[in-house]
Amino acid sequence: MPETQKLSEIVNEIEGTIRNRFAGRTFWIKAEIADVKKYTDKRWCFLKFIEKMGNQVSAEIKGVFWSNSYRQIELFEGATQQAFTSGLEITCNVAVKFHKRYGLTLEVVEIDFAYAVGKLELERKLIIDRLLQEQVMVQDGTSGLYYSRNNRIGLPLVIQRIALITGPDSDGQRDFKKVIGNNKYGYAFRITEFLTRIQGDEASGLVAEKLRLIEAEQNKYDVVVIVRGGGSDTDFKSFNNYELARQVALFPVPVLTGIGHDRNTSITDLVARQNRTPTETATFIIDYNMDVDNELESLKERFFSAVDNRLLRTSNDLENYRQRIRNLSPETILKKGFALIMMDNKIVCDPAHIPENAYTQTLLKNEIIHSKVIEKTSNGTANDI
Amino acid sequence: MEQQMTFDKAFAELQKLVRQIETEDIQVDTLAAKVHDANELVKYCETRLRVIEEDVVKERE
Repeated sequence: MPETQKLSEIVNEIEGTIRNRFAGRTFWIKAEIADVKKYTDKRWCFLKFIEKMGNQVSAEIKGVFWSNSYRQIELFEGATQQAFTSGLEITCNVAVKFHKRYGLTLEVVEIDFAYAVGKLELERKLIIDRLLQEQVMVQDGTSGLYYSRNNRIGLPLVIQRIALITGPDSDGQRDFKKVIGNNKYGYAFRITEFLTRIQGDEASGLVAEKLRLIEAEQNKYDVVVIVRGGGSDTDFKSFNNYELARQVALFPVPVLTGIGHDRNTSITDLVARQNRTPTETATFIIDYNMDVDNELESLKERFFSAVDNRLLRTSNDLENYRQRIRNLSPETILKKGFALIMMDNKIVCDPAHIPENAYTQTLLKNEIIHSKVIEKTSNGTANDI
Repeated sequence: MEQQMTFDKAFAELQKLVRQIETEDIQVDTLAAKVHDANELVKYCETRLRVIEEDVVKERE
């Protein structure tokens, strides 16, 4: 029978060896993370670091964040707008630790955000460049704004028929519908819901699928609204997806986004019409309708004031004519001291028609003077007044 | 009012009427008809903001 040792002896020896070799040192590594399990109450996170050769895992080791470094995860999520989750490649500073019961672990001291942010920025830039190159979107030289076919489609004057893509029983769904439903102006809306998971890596594919359903009956909708809210700040990746951004950019119905990011704009936002949150998206739609409602009111006022003006002008014109007719009437003329001369019951306009010895009547204001013409002479001026 | 009226069409017509009456010399004889039309258009638009009509769909197809 071979000579045996106690397990603890050998484990102690391993521990000692590792401590001697690694104590007080840390290492920067770049690796993919897998099996990420967060214990938010204790502020621990267990995971695995892996390295792959093709599809084969070529190296693997346990990793851990204890409460003193758990803040690093939150900072990472804040900086990258991305959930700290399996599948990510991160650069981090680790210490090698051996525990007699739990074995070998890399304890994370620090994450390099710059690397993660830089990598995401680069990915994002590549997608934007590709969309620009394919002329799916264009960038305005002066404003720097991005335009796509989608965000250049004019909105109808009134937005009423809404295709809503959102998560079932989500805050985004509730917030959007609440604001739309409570609009105090009584505008009518019809919301058709296309519910799907809208968080996580698969979200881009699932949203794309709903968009295809909407496109098949595109004439039924004025706009497509994509909203999500409530704690989705860390999951930005699905909306920076090339296929989804391209589909939205080319989509025939205007797309309004409210995917709940305060600081960043996803590529999908760039090619659509972006609002920050579901509530803001709903408010935008109500305000949009209110604008046209106000314009309608002002058109109405302009119309009726123009009609009033027109009628007033007509009645002024009539009064003018009446006045002029009154001024020209024989009565007015006689009152002013002029006289009318009549012969054979007709008013004489041309004195040439009156021969000498004719009987004429001179009409004055109150009397008629009957006369016989004794002599006619020129008065030295033109006869017409 | 024509059957396939839409908000956008009614609104455009109303704008046209306003322009017309503000700039052109509309005869008083036709004023009554214009007022009637404008009233109808305004009523239609105000209603359409608050009611959804299915025939809008057909019009767009």
